[in-house]
Amino acid sequence: MPTVDMNAETVNDLNDLKKPNAVGEAHGMNEAPPVFSVRNLWKVFGPKAERVPGSDLADLSPDELREKTGCTVAVRDVSFDVRPGECFVVMGLSGSGKSTLVRCLTRLIEPTAGTIAIDGEDVRGMDKGALRDLRRHRAAMVFQHFGLLPHRTVLDNVAYGLEIQGVGKAERRAKAAEMVEKVGLAGMEARRPGQLSGGQQQRVGLARALAADPEVLLFDEPFSALDPLIRRDMQEEVVRLNRDEGRTMVFITHDLSEALRVGDRIALMRGGRVVQCGTPEEIVGSPADDYVRDFVRDVPREQVLTVRRAMRPVRSAGEAETGAALNPATTVADAIEAVARTGAPARVVDAGRCLGIVDFKSLLSIVAGLDRMPGRVHSLKKAVA
Amino acid sequence: MRKALITAAAIGLTTVTAVTATGCGAADMTKQSSPYANAAGTKTVTLSVQSWVGARANAAVATYLLEHELGYRVDTVQVDEVPAWDALSQGRVDAIMEDWGHPDQEKRYVTQKKTVTDGGELGVTGHIGWWVPKYFADAHPDVLDWKNLNKYAAQMRGPESGGKGQLLDGSPSYVTNDKALVKNLKLDYQVVFAGSEAAQITQIQQYAKDKKPFLTYWYEPQWLFNEVPMVEVKLPAYTDACAEKGTADPATIDCAYPTTPLKKFLNTEFTKKGGKAARFLKNFTWTKADQNEVAQMIAEDKLPADKAAERWVHKHPEVWKKWLK
Amino acid sequence: MSTATTAVPPRAVAPPGRLRTALRRPAARKLLLLGIVTAVLAPLAAARWGSGAWPDALTVDLAGPLGRANDWIIDNRDGHWLFLYFFGHISNAIITSVRGVYLVLLALGWAGVTAGASLLAWRLAGVRAAVTALASFAVCGLLGMWVPTMRTLALMIVAVAASVAVGALLGLAGGLSDRMFRAMRPVLDTMQALPAFAYLLPVVLVFGIGVAPAVLATVVYAAPPMARLTAMGLRGTDQGVLEAVDSLGATGRQRLLTARLPLARRELLLGVNQSIMMALSMAVIASVIGADGLGDRVYQALSTVDVGSALAAGIPIVLLAIVLDRTTAGHRSVGSRSAGLGAPPAVAGGGWAPRRTRTLTTWAVAIAAVVALGRAAGAKSWPDHWTVAIATPVNTAKDWMVDHLYSGIPGIGGTADWAAHYTGWVLDPLRDGLQGLPWWGALALVAALAWMIGTWRTALTATLSLAAIGVLGRWNVAMDTLSQVLAAVAVTLVAGFAIAVVAARSPRVDRLLRPVLDVFQTMPQFVYLIPVVALFGIGRAPAAAAAIVYALPAVVRIVSQGLRQADPAALESARSLGATGGQQLRQVQFPLARAELLLAVNQAVVLVLSVVIIGGLVGGGALGYEVVFGLAQGDLATGLMAGTAIACLGLMLDRVTQPTKPKEG
Repeated sequence: MPTVDMNAETVNDLNDLKKPNAVGEAHGMNEAPPVFSVRNLWKVFGPKAERVPGSDLADLSPDELREKTGCTVAVRDVSFDVRPGECFVVMGLSGSGKSTLVRCLTRLIEPTAGTIAIDGEDVRGMDKGALRDLRRHRAAMVFQHFGLLPHRTVLDNVAYGLEIQGVGKAERRAKAAEMVEKVGLAGMEARRPGQLSGGQQQRVGLARALAADPEVLLFDEPFSALDPLIRRDMQEEVVRLNRDEGRTMVFITHDLSEALRVGDRIALMRGGRVVQCGTPEEIVGSPADDYVRDFVRDVPREQVLTVRRAMRPVRSAGEAETGAALNPATTVADAIEAVARTGAPARVVDAGRCLGIVDFKSLLSIVAGLDRMPGRVHSLKKAVA
Repeated sequence: MRKALITAAAIGLTTVTAVTATGCGAADMTKQSSPYANAAGTKTVTLSVQSWVGARANAAVATYLLEHELGYRVDTVQVDEVPAWDALSQGRVDAIMEDWGHPDQEKRYVTQKKTVTDGGELGVTGHIGWWVPKYFADAHPDVLDWKNLNKYAAQMRGPESGGKGQLLDGSPSYVTNDKALVKNLKLDYQVVFAGSEAAQITQIQQYAKDKKPFLTYWYEPQWLFNEVPMVEVKLPAYTDACAEKGTADPATIDCAYPTTPLKKFLNTEFTKKGGKAARFLKNFTWTKADQNEVAQMIAEDKLPADKAAERWVHKHPEVWKKWLK
Repeated sequence: MSTATTAVPPRAVAPPGRLRTALRRPAARKLLLLGIVTAVLAPLAAARWGSGAWPDALTVDLAGPLGRANDWIIDNRDGHWLFLYFFGHISNAIITSVRGVYLVLLALGWAGVTAGASLLAWRLAGVRAAVTALASFAVCGLLGMWVPTMRTLALMIVAVAASVAVGALLGLAGGLSDRMFRAMRPVLDTMQALPAFAYLLPVVLVFGIGVAPAVLATVVYAAPPMARLTAMGLRGTDQGVLEAVDSLGATGRQRLLTARLPLARRELLLGVNQSIMMALSMAVIASVIGADGLGDRVYQALSTVDVGSALAAGIPIVLLAIVLDRTTAGHRSVGSRSAGLGAPPAVAGGGWAPRRTRTLTTWAVAIAAVVALGRAAGAKSWPDHWTVAIATPVNTAKDWMVDHLYSGIPGIGGTADWAAHYTGWVLDPLRDGLQGLPWWGALALVAALAWMIGTWRTALTATLSLAAIGVLGRWNVAMDTLSQVLAAVAVTLVAGFAIAVVAARSPRVDRLLRPVLDVFQTMPQFVYLIPVVALFGIGRAPAAAAAIVYALPAVVRIVSQGLRQADPAALESARSLGATGGQQLRQVQFPLARAELLLAVNQAVVLVLSVVIIGGLVGGGALGYEVVFGLAQGDLATGLMAGTAIACLGLMLDRVTQPTKPKEG
């Protein structure tokens, strides 16, 4: 059984954080071209790795494959799109291939097969110069272990990316100072990484990534090495960036609560494969298989799932006209509060149109988890009868 | 750090520049003198000094006079005998003041390559032989004939001689036939190399202090005789036939060492361009007594070589005035 | 064979189950396999070529061809294109550079050099280093050694610059390319294990005698540590940082210059420091091939048994070593500080660059002023009347020592008696034993030792090295040298361990010992030779004494460091169990310091060998004598063969004592 770092308290304020994103999600649904478009991506480590993807070898179990060819499949036939402005989370346990996947996006690790496009441009076909350009201006990464240069000051670390781009000294220092300020490290410009706490170091890493003003931010388990409290601060920071600046993000984590907290959409990986990809609500509400179900078992559902899921069709015309109106992105927890306060069912209204009705029963069945166990609902009904 | 790298790079660059400066043409390394030569704005003469003190006495006096009378600057380089010939030929040293006879080198450099020129005789006659301390010879006069040496082998034993008598040899660089002699004369002795003349002298002094018997390879002129009187052991007489046999195969030698008039050799280029210094070195000639006087001051009284030379020069102007002509 | 039989008996009495478990241990398996191989091959070889010393049938005579090669080189040195267009330019460039540096030093005058050196030391390592530099240069002048010091310095500067440049380039190649690294590493390891003397002959063969070959030998000797440390530093870079740098789109060059090199800074500085120390020791030894300078003064003094003058020239060498070491090593600690915590925040930041330029200017002005003052005072070279002659008093002291210690001290005898006993009771039996050992037995023994401690590769290298000595026809001579090395190493280790244990237990002893060790480790090997001759006469005993004194500091330092580094928690738990001091030492500290102890053995072997070889100058005989003979007589064939045998012996000894290092990731 997967052990998931699940903490009810941390999820409590999920809504506060993600509400505006619900809007973002709504416009994310539009057909704006994806920032990253990944199709059938494979990464196989080992000798003559290129023979594995697409062949019978790929169907072998990892042990058999290693025995036979000496190869290990880290990423297996993965496809997904990252839409502009969204925070796309890739989550999985260690060894699931998520870190390899994010490195393949800018070819820090060279993929074995498949296609990657950024804004429609083929990443795998880029020559060295174009690739460098991609890394310098379009996608910046934040690492789990920070990757700071110990011999440089905070300011020079933040300015480092700009220095590499050839930005003049005064300009890059000014820009870096601005970023340092932005991540809340003002006054620490002259310190060296060794003199900072882990959280501060990661702020430097974040500032360094932001300094280049990239189109996409890639996070590789950025907060795993941090204390829980600091981790939460940092998560808020990320969400704020996503919300306020509309920055596209790809965020790798092994922590489900973190994924739910920051992600607009989540791709759950296991053994190099994407097992399920969807909104937090989809993942929690409709797990694709037992593995995912196990994974999300302890999540407080009412805080993730929305009324969209809890509502029932309008039974009478009167229902569509009366009662409190709720946004479809409202969580079940909030809906319960509204319904409890008025004592009557509430309407789910989107752009003036009533989509459905939530009442005590429908909301409570979500909390009780009845919706995901149809058989059980049936038997319970019988028992009640 | 960065500075260190920059410095290294700068000097590396200088080296590269130096290489390019020498051009793409030929660079004859046999014509390159010492980097320290002519550095202080004066003309420099480089003398080879061998490790024995007699040679240092020559060099000290020559240095003193070249510097104080002729206004040169003198560098001395310590090089062993045979390599000194090579250095002389290349012009890294300008002169060897005391050569004990190296026919092979003389043939190669003086006769064939003509890079070295005969500088005339030093005025001192050198002689190599086997010697025992006087206190021992007085007590046992018959030790002075080589035929009786075996009788004393047991008394001459040393820690390195493996149960045989010890024949003490000095620096490996010296001209020696001792191994062949011991074998061919069927002596119950083992040649033990002290490794350097310094070590040999120390050893002799120690023996002398304890009045112990010893047999040693030694040579004249040598200041040590004044401190430790020694008597030579007669070996089978030196003959031309024996010498010829020895030239053909050194292992067959069975007679005494020759008496060698010590010679000076100069770099050919230096003889032509060396001006007064070259003439002075050619004229340099003195006696065994003169040399020993200076050598003793250096080695036994531990006077710095220049002080020793200074004293001698003040005492014997009649000898050196002739050299300046 | 012999090892196999010594190893089996205790197991033969063990029950069969234990035998099997014993055989499961890799060491036992290796020995068994080796035993079988030897049992098959040895009788065959012995029957074919005879037992005892190395068979003549298996030797190759290289003296003839080498002698002819030597003659050819001498005859063609001024005519052949190889010399005119290649070696000639190298030689020329070296001479020009040394001359250039020397002229600059002379032009600065003693005042300028001293001031410049002190300021540099101040900048790099702080006030104490500056004071050390100031005092040291003053002492060099006071001893009347100013000009030789400047010559050595000039030679050193060029040699160190070249070593650092060559070493850094090689290290860069090795650091960036795995294949290069794999190819380079064994070569560098080997080069560091070889005695300095072995490097002299090949350069003399090509370049003759003089400054150029001396610089070259120095560079060849001093570059490997730089190369090695550079490569190690570059390879040791934090992969996470490199990945981050890549993710920012750095080019290969940017990655190297802004990340890999700065991150390898500590290793680079250590490399520079080591190169300097190696270069200094070689620059002194190279006086044998005409290096001039301080080494030459020592060499000349030795030939007149003038310990006083040798010391007068030796002291500046030691001081130079201390100044160079303190200056460069001081920088090292600053480096580590800035990499970690505690760096003053003010050091970096916006004001840095202008301030630096300003300080540089200030210095340039300061030095120029001092130079001007010095020159105005007419003091370019150190004033003669400011010198102190130490030679005479030192010699008087030495004579007194000789008179009173040489022999006849009641009860314990004199040093001469000790020397005789050491030679007669230790060295002779050991030598006879080694020379009496059948050649195949010696090979098997070496193979067993090397394999036990390392891999089959090390065993093969060690065995082949030993066999090469036999092939060169130097078997008996090498066994003589080997006996001297083994005996001296044994004494060194016993004494070194004893001192180290005391030093590790008492911080006060350690504090007292440290500066002594520092000085002893930088002393030129030559200087040791004369007092030991005075004390022990000539022969193998003084060579051994010099070797022991030379190797002792390194052993003491490594062992005491190893003992002190033992995990305090482990020590504490041992104490809590009521372990006595001896038990702690035996059961906790020694086992935990195993790596250091092995390293100490290895270092002892390498250092002792290097001095035993130089012992040829004081009657040590054997291979060292043959090298000295080869150099002195211009008989390079003999010298080269002995030099090769020395190298092989060094390689063999190194491999036999070098535990396999864990593979690098």
